[in-house]
This record gives sequence, C-alpha cells and structure tokens, in this order.
Amino acid sequence: MALVRKIIPQSTVDGPGNRTAIFLQGCNIRCAYCHNPETQAMHDAEAQEMSVVEVLAEIRKGIPFIRGITVSGGECMLQPDFLTALFQAVKELARETNHPLTCLIDSNGTIPFEHFPELMEDCDGVMLDVKAWDAEVYQHLTQAKDNMVVKQNLAWLLQHDLLTEVRIVCLPERVDVENILRHIAETFDFIGKKAPVRLLRFRPHGVLGELANHPMPSDEQMAQYADLARSLHLAFSIK
Amino acid sequence: MADIYSIVTSQQLSYEQKVVALAHAAEDTLSVIPMPERTRFFFEKGAICNLNEGNAPYRPRYIMPDYEKAVRNGVKFLELDPPQDFDELLTFLQVLYRHVPSITTYPVFLGDLDKLIEPFITDLSDEVVKRKLRNFLIYLDRTITDSFCHANLGPEATRAGRLILDVDRELEQAVPNLTLKYDPSITPDDFAEQAIYTSLCVANPAICNDVLNAKTYDRYGISSCYNILPIAGGSYTLTRLVLPRLAALTESKEEFLKTLLPEAMQCMADYMSARIRFIVEQSGFFESHFLAKEGFVERDRFVAMFGLVGLAEAANKFAPEGKKYGSDAEADEVAEQIMDAITAFVDAYECPYCEIANHRLLLHAQVGIDTDYGITSGIRIPVGDEPESIYDHLRHSSRFHRYIPTGCSDILPFDITGKQNPAAILDIVKGAFSLGQKYIAFYASDSDLVRITGYLVKRSEIEKWNDGQTVLQNTTQLGAPTYASAHLANRKVRGV
Repeated sequence: MALVRKIIPQSTVDGPGNRTAIFLQGCNIRCAYCHNPETQAMHDAEAQEMSVVEVLAEIRKGIPFIRGITVSGGECMLQPDFLTALFQAVKELARETNHPLTCLIDSNGTIPFEHFPELMEDCDGVMLDVKAWDAEVYQHLTQAKDNMVVKQNLAWLLQHDLLTEVRIVCLPERVDVENILRHIAETFDFIGKKAPVRLLRFRPHGVLGELANHPMPSDEQMAQYADLARSLHLAFSIK
Repeated sequence: MADIYSIVTSQQLSYEQKVVALAHAAEDTLSVIPMPERTRFFFEKGAICNLNEGNAPYRPRYIMPDYEKAVRNGVKFLELDPPQDFDELLTFLQVLYRHVPSITTYPVFLGDLDKLIEPFITDLSDEVVKRKLRNFLIYLDRTITDSFCHANLGPEATRAGRLILDVDRELEQAVPNLTLKYDPSITPDDFAEQAIYTSLCVANPAICNDVLNAKTYDRYGISSCYNILPIAGGSYTLTRLVLPRLAALTESKEEFLKTLLPEAMQCMADYMSARIRFIVEQSGFFESHFLAKEGFVERDRFVAMFGLVGLAEAANKFAPEGKKYGSDAEADEVAEQIMDAITAFVDAYECPYCEIANHRLLLHAQVGIDTDYGITSGIRIPVGDEPESIYDHLRHSSRFHRYIPTGCSDILPFDITGKQNPAAILDIVKGAFSLGQKYIAFYASDSDLVRITGYLVKRSEIEKWNDGQTVLQNTTQLGAPTYASAHLANRKVRGV
C-alpha cells in the first residue's frame, strides 16, 4: 500500500512523452520553493491509501496512449517497497498488453538508489533534482543535513545509465546554479557519460511561505545560465 | 430576383464572392435533376441536404488531379512544358491550380506538395527554398480565398516537408490546409513532432492515419474538409442525411430505423445517382475539360460521398432519457444501430459510374454548415458532452470511425503547454491510430487560427466579419456563424 496524493492520467511535463504521473504523499525535506507543499506531510486527509492493484487499474486506462509512468511526490523513494511492486506490475502489464511502458522516478535523491537493486531492475530512469551543490546552500534551502547522498546518486545513476534528466530549479538568491552546473559537468567528464540538464525557472505558483510572492528570475538571468551551460557543453533545456 | 439584387448590391461580399454567388444563382434557375415528391418532402424537412451544390452540376464537386503526372508530362491545354527547375515548378503549379474546378470554384486539392517539390530543391539552400516557398504560399492564400483547400505531406519525412512546415508556422495562414499522412513505421518521430508543434502554433497540419486510409483506394489524397478521395479522380457529389431532422419526424425508434431511415436513404441515393448521371452523361465535363482529356483525372476514379451529420443528436433522441452519445453505453448502442442500418443500405445500393468504389456510394462524416443549429458534425461528440478523459474520447471516436471510408475526424484544442512536449501528443496520436481513429486535428487554445468544422479560420477575421467588414476568405463567412452556433469556443480544451 502507498499513500497517493494524486494521479494525473495525462502528463506532458513529467518525463519524455505522454505519461501517467503518480504523486505519493510525504517528503523528507522542506524546500522553500516547493510548488506542491501539500504533498510534504507524511499524512494528509486528502491523500488516499492505494494498493498496487488499484494504481495499476488507473495506469491501464492510459494504454495505448501513454509511453509509461512517472512516480513523483512528495518523495516517492520513501515508499520503496511499493515502488518495487508497482514497477514489477507495470512491466507485467506491458507484456500482457503488448504495449511497452517505461517506469521513471522523479526524486530529490536523498535516498541511495543502490540500496534497492530489485527496484532499479525495473526502473528505466530517474529524474534527479540537484537543488544545490554547496552543502550550506542546500541546508538553508531544504532544512536537510547535507546533500552528500544526492551527489553519490548523481554519479551512481550516471554510471548505470539510469539518469534520465538532472533538474535544477533556478532561483538566483537561494540556489548556487552556476556552481551546480560546473560540478555536474565535472561529474559527467569524470564518469565519461552525460545526461540532459533541465533548467527550471522558479515560479511562485503554489509556493507557500517566504517565497510565495517572490518574482521569477529574469530572462537575462536565465540567458546567463544558458550561456554557462552551453560553454560547459551540457545538453540543456529551459522551462 | 431579390436575391440576385442583394448579391449585386452587397457591401459585405468581395467582387469575387459576388461573381461566384451570381453564377450559383444562375445555375439554380435550372431544374434538371428529378425530384420525386417523397424526395422533395425530405428536402423540405431538411432531412436531406445537397449543401447548395447547385441544381445543374457542371463539374464534379471535388477534383483530385494527378499533379505528379502533370509535372512529368506538362499540360498541353495550358501550354505548360514540364518544369525544369524550382521556379518553373512553382509557376507551373500556380497556373495549373488556377484552372482546377470544384464546387467552391477553387482547387480543393493541391497534391502531395512535399513530393512535388522535393526533386526540385536538391541544389538549393534552405534559405532560398524558404524564400520561394513563402511567396508561393502567400500567393495561394491570397488567391485561393476559400480554406476548403488542402495540400498533403508525408508519410515519408522529406527536406521539402520540413521546410513547408517551417514556412507555414511563420506565415500563419488559413490556406492551404495541410495534412500529414502518418504511418509510425514510415514517418520518423521527429518529423511527426515537428508537424504537431506546427499544429499547436498555427492549427495546421492535421494528422491522417495513413495505415488505415491507404486501404481505401490504390492512391488517396485528402481534400477540402478531410475528404479521403482517389487521386486522379475525386467525388461527383456530396449529399447529406441530416439525422436529427429526420429523427424529428417520429417519436419511435422502430419507425425511424425500419421506415423513415430506409426511405430517406433510398430517396437520397437515387437523387445522388441522378446527379452523377447528369455530370457524366449531360454536362460534358469528361469530354471537354483538359484535366480529363489529358488524363490528369479519369472518369472511373470518381466516387460519390453519402454524407451524414448529427449522429449524436439522433442517437440521444432514441436513447433512454438522459443518456448521452459519447458517455453512455445505451446511447452509443443506438448510434451503432443507426450506423449499421446506414452501412447495410449503402452496401446494397448500386450507383452508376462509381467503378473505383465497386459501384457503391461511400459514407462520409459531413462536418456541418453554418445553418446547422443543434446538429453536431458527422459522428463527433457534441461540444459540452465530451468525456472527461481524452482517452475515453478517442476510444469512442475510434469505435465510430471504422464505419466511414471517405473522411471523418476529431478536432482537439490543446492547452498551450502541449507545445513544450509534442512527443507527448504524438504518443496520444499513436495510441488513437492503433485503435482505429482515422484522422485527428489540433490547435492550441490561444491560437488565432481555429479549426471550425475542419477548415481554418482566423478568430481576428471572424471579428471583422461580425463587425460588418468585407473579408478576403469565403470561409470566414461560414465560420463566423458556425463558431458561435456550434459553441466551438467551448470545446473541451485538453490540458496537459
């Protein structure tokens, strides 16, 4: 069983192609810029306990229109047993319907993927949030201890060809975007593999607390990030 | 005569529009097509409608010239030699298009434009090709002032096809309509995605299921408002059965299915046969027109389109109280009974001069006209009744598209965020086509160009027309009332 906040049958913003996106309830960090703050609490009256069979029934409705599923949150890696069972069931569904389905994870990367080999067996990729590179910046943004595990995950996923995308939310005052870009490029070079980088422009929509009315970064600012990403030979896109 | 006077003195019709309207008025002074009493009754009730096709047809309604043959052989009547370079090709086509007749007086089919162009651009840079294409397409838009005009692309990806899409996106024009023939085993994803992206910018091109539609004839093209017709042929006529108006004649489903429907179909089919005979035997078209004489169309490659409109309202009327076509199984079942009855009739009725269709009339989901109040296009789900899930919507249309060989379609407005992920929309298209959907068109919810029932109109032009001003496109005049009466602004926008 998992605590499910919401299922979006047709999502075009949660990975490649058209996907069914499943948002689990509960997060282990508290990002200041979180645009789904209602999914942070580990329990919430609006979230629903659902079994793998129930979630699978929703996914089935999307066949043959979807390319796969993306599980997001909250932080979906807090419910790894459910994820493992769900991904196995989705792969079985794909065989049964003869319609290929990919299983992606959208994660903050605070839980080591290498501890869950059975899950990663059926996982086709991870969209990893690299929220900051400097540990203090990270702490200040997320109230988490540090981001060691995120960096380890970045390297591990890359090595195992499971890094679908690196995501950076661009908020100049709170995120060391340039620093992240440089270190990602270094990691790519070190391992000898690459993954696409997505620069997400901070939007105050849905955000609560101190950043609720914070302005979006300017076009000029985003263009500077783009210039840097280009000079580092990163494959990037801006949203 | 009062009508003619009002055409002559109108300040809202352009000069060209007056000439066409006057020709039409002249044609309608004749009565050469027999109209038995019962047929007249159905016409008067609006249950059969000839779409103002005219009382004395002097050319087939839709003509699909074999442009590739024309480019290969030249056209003697027009004193055109086969073109040798890109400039010559574009001039050749401009001249030829000018002389292709149809019900609208403008060509409804411009050919497989990418394939026509591709061999002529090998030595030219993208910039040069785009500059020339831009002028060519502007010429077409400003002289073919009726958006029931269609050019085709694909299914193969070509450099010409990509450049046409690029220029089309820049120009934002209503003419020509474009359709990409899509076959997932031939059309690469990136080309299909470029087409979808273009469509979300300028509501063009639409996407046609090449795998299914290619089975209709040996060579097909898409013309006018999504008509699937043989190349080097076309359609003599399109008459339509207006199902809700026929249904209005009875309260009994039994009487509708067993008596009225067969009777009306017989009247309509006989009427269509008479029109076909007049075109072939009396009008002299196939004896005298250069397209026929030089073999760019062949008489035995023409079909006749048996149109139907408003399946939804007819099904709803005879379904249990409150059950709706598109969301309730009971109403869909009634719709299937109606479609089965219609199919059985056309399968059994032998019509003259339709060799390529095995002497049968072919069903067409007619998209409607400006005076259709409360009548939904063809077999579509009424605006406002669309299922919550786009997947259910597409499953439903796939179920009904299978009945219709000569054109049926769905139009889906998408949230503008769809532009950021055309691959996602392509996934939806692939899914729908694998289930049997035959044709699908999109536009973005913020686009100036909108699909009315199939053809494109600019919202800004509609405003001008509603304001009493003269507008260039004939189809704006049709689109303005339809946009309002069919509540098209309320089509369910598919969020992503």
